[in-house]
Amino acid sequence: MQNVREEIRQYILSEFLPGEKPSNLRDDTPLRTSGILDSISTLRLVSFVEEHYGVEVEAHEASVENFDSIESIASFIKNKKSSAS
Amino acid sequence: MDLELAERQQQLQNAAIEFARSELNDDLIQRDRDEAFSLEGWKKCARFGALGLPVPAEYGGMGFGITDVIVVMEGLGYGTRDQGLLFSINAHLWTNSLPILVYGTEDQRRKYLPGLSNGELIGANGASEPDAGSDVFSMRTRAELHGDHYILNGTKTFVSNAPVANLFVIYATVDPRLGPMGITAFLVERDTPGLVVSRRMEKMGLRTSPMAELVLNDCTVPVANRLGREGRGVAVFESSMEWERGCILANYLGLMRRQLENCIQYVRSRKQFGKPIGKFQSVANRVVDMKVRLDASRPLVYRIGWLKERNQSAMLESALAKLYVSESLVASCLDALQIYGGYGYMVEQGIERELRDALGSTLYSGTSEIQRNVIAKCLGI
Repeated sequence: MQNVREEIRQYILSEFLPGEKPSNLRDDTPLRTSGILDSISTLRLVSFVEEHYGVEVEAHEASVENFDSIESIASFIKNKKSSAS
Repeated sequence: MDLELAERQQQLQNAAIEFARSELNDDLIQRDRDEAFSLEGWKKCARFGALGLPVPAEYGGMGFGITDVIVVMEGLGYGTRDQGLLFSINAHLWTNSLPILVYGTEDQRRKYLPGLSNGELIGANGASEPDAGSDVFSMRTRAELHGDHYILNGTKTFVSNAPVANLFVIYATVDPRLGPMGITAFLVERDTPGLVVSRRMEKMGLRTSPMAELVLNDCTVPVANRLGREGRGVAVFESSMEWERGCILANYLGLMRRQLENCIQYVRSRKQFGKPIGKFQSVANRVVDMKVRLDASRPLVYRIGWLKERNQSAMLESALAKLYVSESLVASCLDALQIYGGYGYMVEQGIERELRDALGSTLYSGTSEIQRNVIAKCLGI
């Protein structure tokens, strides 16, 4: 899980927050509700999650509940993978 | 990144210049006046291979990588003055053929790509709506699933090629509450019941590229014609735009080069007050500015090809190139017009048409303002 969190953090930092200190993007930093991710960036993040972790994200699953923090995204991926196996 | 063309690429570009110069310039002033699309020119481009440049040979295309496509497009832009025809080709390639190649099923590729490459089919795309332009993903066109087909309802505007197109990529939302995650792409054939090519739209420039509105009135589209996954139309659209922003600019590199060469020749030969007008600094400076813009633009466009051939994202670089090259093109057309003086203002000279054509480039495929938004976002602002 720690690896997943770090990979997501690196992706968000490189794609949406270039130049930001990694320490400023914590596991619980709000992403959607703070405006770091808008709807199009969220869609790009969803594509990254699908390609990188082999899970399929339905449109209704790309919600604030599942995609508002690194923590919630990592949990979502974990749940998707465990329900698939 | 090497900016020198390899010998093979230079030959490719020379062939494109020769083809465009000899085959695509006939009767342009009258066709521009009449807003006449040249089907004959389109067929010639198909025979030359221009309509299937990025399409693999197994689907009837040339199978070129993006840098080679840019090389050819630059040559076509240099050789022909019919920027409208080239605009139609770009719309056809990047918003129709390429999405089918990238996101289509094998059946969709085999069904449509050969015809799109050999000139039998003309492609178009419907994304913008009367109330969804720059904010395109606020579109209202709905797609409702009914068994094995979708029912599409809505209106699309600014649809390039619509009056002559046979195949449309249409974007619609399956659920407005999902925002961009509801947008879905569909392949809609022209004779599909409920699809009406409506009002033809008259434009300031690019007049040889026809444009119209589309009305979708209970338009029935088989599920088999959905392009990509449901709710992933934004990815299809963004991919189209990334390619289009890169490649459509290559034509302008050619145009800017031809225009610069013509201006240099003109300021050397045109004499006023007893000497060539190029000897006046105020005139020479305009030519210098045109040269600076061209030389600054070229690496920006070729960098997109370089990145994409390495499977790297070019979202930032495409937006940078689109913004700079389109605004440079407009500025250089204005300089050319001023250099030619009264002659430049005359229709016969062709510069006024190039200026009218150029002005559209800061608007389509995302306005300059939208490009700045994209760049700001990529910078984390």
